[in-house]
Amino acid sequence: MELLKCSNLNKNYGKKKVLKDINFSITDGKIIGLLGKNGTGKSTLIKLINDLLVPTSGDILILGKEIGVESKEVISYLPERTYLDKTMTVRQVIDYFVDFYEDFDKNKATSLLKDLDLDIDEKLIKMSKGMQEKVQLVLVMSRKAKLYILDEPLGGVDPATRDYILDTILNNFNEGSSVIISTHLIADIERILDEVIFIDKGKIILTGDADEIRSRENASIDEVFRRMFKC
Amino acid sequence: MLSKLIKYDIKRIAKFLLVFYVLAIFSAILTRLLFMVNNSFIIGILAQICSGFTCAMIANILINTLMRQWVKFKSTLYDDESYLTHTLPVEKSSIYMSKIIVSIGSIIISVLVIFLTLFIAYYSKENIEVLKNTLLPIANLYNSSLIRVVLIFIAAFMVETLCILQSGYTGIILGHKMNNNKILFSIVYGLLVYIFTQVFALGLVFILGLFNDNLMNLFITNEVLNFDTIRIVGYLCIFIYFIIFIGNLFINIRLFMNGVDVD
Repeated sequence: MELLKCSNLNKNYGKKKVLKDINFSITDGKIIGLLGKNGTGKSTLIKLINDLLVPTSGDILILGKEIGVESKEVISYLPERTYLDKTMTVRQVIDYFVDFYEDFDKNKATSLLKDLDLDIDEKLIKMSKGMQEKVQLVLVMSRKAKLYILDEPLGGVDPATRDYILDTILNNFNEGSSVIISTHLIADIERILDEVIFIDKGKIILTGDADEIRSRENASIDEVFRRMFKC
Repeated sequence: MLSKLIKYDIKRIAKFLLVFYVLAIFSAILTRLLFMVNNSFIIGILAQICSGFTCAMIANILINTLMRQWVKFKSTLYDDESYLTHTLPVEKSSIYMSKIIVSIGSIIISVLVIFLTLFIAYYSKENIEVLKNTLLPIANLYNSSLIRVVLIFIAAFMVETLCILQSGYTGIILGHKMNNNKILFSIVYGLLVYIFTQVFALGLVFILGLFNDNLMNLFITNEVLNFDTIRIVGYLCIFIYFIIFIGNLFINIRLFMNGVDVD
């Protein structure tokens, strides 16, 4: 059974069609790159999968079931923005995750945060935006989820932090689960991708196995992307 | 899961309201102390200033009990924090019920703190006598005891406040279904829902008036109403607002379960 299946998915904002007839499915144990320029519908698609938007039409199935409590139990989602209550300390946020997510590994989170040299009794509001984002990444990756959805995890961070983020993702995602990474910084994540989904103007324009695309096009995914999205 | 949601909603709202509660009680104590040692012109002035501050704090509690909950409702369900709220493995109805339960609790606690503040700052035999003399004619009007009248007023105030609060929630939910100007639409829808509930309440009284001549006098005469009519209106007020509150609760849960569109 597919982990995630989107069928004939459309999303309109008034008369504006943001996503047009999206069809794709994802199976277990893959790292999938959701690739496209800014404003092409990547985040909208991710928000639809996470119940943050209502589709205009079409279906989204997670393990064969519609989006709901059960789908949220198996999806670990990292949004593109800082979404935690900033008046909380890191310790309180960890307790929050322990309370709501049965698959949250508190020891793993504490250990990863320790590696960041972070005072877990410090309030989020006193941390830099970059540090808040790292805390979020640690929390998301400390769940034993079936599907991790990471929206622009590399956006606006320095190369050293990008490496930290990619290492954290690679070393911590649950065995047998899948990861969707949305980004336009393809060169940085190319090495870890199993599959790619190219999205442009709300439509999927290319989808397939990353190695197959490389050999077919005789170019890296980054080069294929640059060719396809040339202005 | 509902109990966990309630726990965190209480923490969120308490962070703000506790500040006003503490300030109100502190200023009430100060007012009391200054009035007790009122032995000079300066102390008298300070006592009056503290008294004014206490009244301002009471007004602050009233306003912030509503405003802060609307702000928190919006921030946790439609702003950045909503990315966490809506991805929690809990039913949407539980998320809304948690907000409502905490809102009811906050209103009750705010009313209690206001009474405590008034008691600390102004309790004296003379003031109680003044209050009694003011309320006794109303109690006689209702053919009831003074305590009962006060409780009816408090109950009416609380159900009305809950209806206002929930109208605001409906406004926020409907406003955020729009694509643009969500805050403006939230305010407009909130006001419209509140006006609609008031018209609905009046409509219900009118319908009941068709079966009760005394009640119908509310609409067709300018004569002074008799005691029975005023008593019936008092109880009806609580009953109708309660019905509106429950009705609005079901509508909001339904709207909320249809899904959200987060920016």
